[in-house]
Amino acid sequence: MVKVMAEDAFEAVVAAHHAEIRRYLLRITARGGDADDLSQETFLRAFRAYRALPPGANVRAWLFAIATNLGRNHFRAQGRRRRAYTAAALEMAADAPDRADGQVLADETRARMERVITGLPPKQRLAFIMRKMHELDYTEIGASLSCSEESARAHVFQALRKIRRDLAGQFSLGTESRS
Amino acid sequence: MSPQHPLCRAIEPDLLSVAMGEAGPTAVARVEAHVAACRLCREELGHYRALEGMLDTLRRAPLGEDDATLARAQLASRLADLRSRMVGFGIFPSPLGRILIARSEQGVALVQYLPADGSLPAHVRRLLGDDAVEDRAATEALRAELVEYLEGRRARLDWPLDLRRMRSDFQRRVLEATAALPYGAITSYAGIAARIGAPSAVRPVAQALRWNPLPIVIPCHRVIGSSGALTGYAGRHVDLKQRLLAVEGVKTVAARHDFTIDREAMYTMVTGEREYCVPTCGSLLSEPLSRLTLFGTRERAEAAGFEPCTTCRPDLHPLPA
Repeated sequence: MVKVMAEDAFEAVVAAHHAEIRRYLLRITARGGDADDLSQETFLRAFRAYRALPPGANVRAWLFAIATNLGRNHFRAQGRRRRAYTAAALEMAADAPDRADGQVLADETRARMERVITGLPPKQRLAFIMRKMHELDYTEIGASLSCSEESARAHVFQALRKIRRDLAGQFSLGTESRS
Repeated sequence: MSPQHPLCRAIEPDLLSVAMGEAGPTAVARVEAHVAACRLCREELGHYRALEGMLDTLRRAPLGEDDATLARAQLASRLADLRSRMVGFGIFPSPLGRILIARSEQGVALVQYLPADGSLPAHVRRLLGDDAVEDRAATEALRAELVEYLEGRRARLDWPLDLRRMRSDFQRRVLEATAALPYGAITSYAGIAARIGAPSAVRPVAQALRWNPLPIVIPCHRVIGSSGALTGYAGRHVDLKQRLLAVEGVKTVAARHDFTIDREAMYTMVTGEREYCVPTCGSLLSEPLSRLTLFGTRERAEAAGFEPCTTCRPDLHPLPA
């Protein structure tokens, strides 16, 4: 019997990328609880379009682009609500259970960093997360955000500057000793 | 906070690139030369490198991976559902004009005659659904078998069928009864109504056949009017019905806007019995078509598993060819 779909090939795509795409969506939604829906939607869309994908295409970058678009639509639709539960998610992160002493500072820094990242404008945040958390290159990020490679780089750099400014106080221990 | 000297401002993007490990050798050299002389920028580079380290920690931090297995399982089930609904279709020329064949994971879901003008009628698009994709490769084997069938070189289409496009349980029963009609056999709409135990539902049977999503495969062309007129097919294409029947050895006579069979030229049997007769055997000619199954040739009747009547002996006294 003839097979309708290239099922096995798509199974392999899911196996290779589902966990990472879901982590990406957890990050961009600030763990707001929509990442599972969005990652399912990403792969359902990908499945429909998979047969039209040219052979040799960069499947990972293509999935990131689909997830990014869904994420942006989601942000637009959610608007205020998103900000509301981002705040809730951050409070939850702040209420993290007791840790060993040495862990506390690291956890605080991390929570603060996540807060800054969440507060970035959408394109900067998405570009930053794709680059620094998932190590996509600027061409791939540009394709996801429908912008040029240069704009993608500019978004990432701008995000870095903001995070660095916001965390200025955290560097007091980590800077080079002055000679 | 950040260095304000024009040289420092100019070097800043390169400095970020170096801190992130993205800079080329020229930029690295430029930044190294600058920070050797500029304490503020040296510190700034240190800050960005420290930030890189913190981002690395953040990248490795756990992120709700506990739920990943569940999420994956949910995705698998939704994909399976989507897959079973999706159809791949092909559109082909055939001896009966353009034909669309669509198949899902479960089997052949649609066979539709298309207009010659190249369009895809709205009712066909509706039957295909939103997730249909053109897939000639997946339907090519079906196309080849269908053409063999239409050219009389094949008497069976043993295809797995996807019957989820049935409009009702009633339609399913009608089409199942129709699918049981052997190659080359004919009965009437009333005959199908009788077979499904709803003898008065002649018009509903005709309607159910009118919306047959799988013509040819489910041979609604073998069901005709009680008068012997072919009556209707695929909208206004009773000529296609006549051609399909001709392929199966059923002779018809052209009538006004229609064709009729000649009962006196067809081998006849009472539906449910095992023997076929010449039409003049006993009182067969006065029986209503709804009780009968007719064959154009003895070969068809015997290929369907029936035996010659021991009284009228159609095997010794066949009808004139």
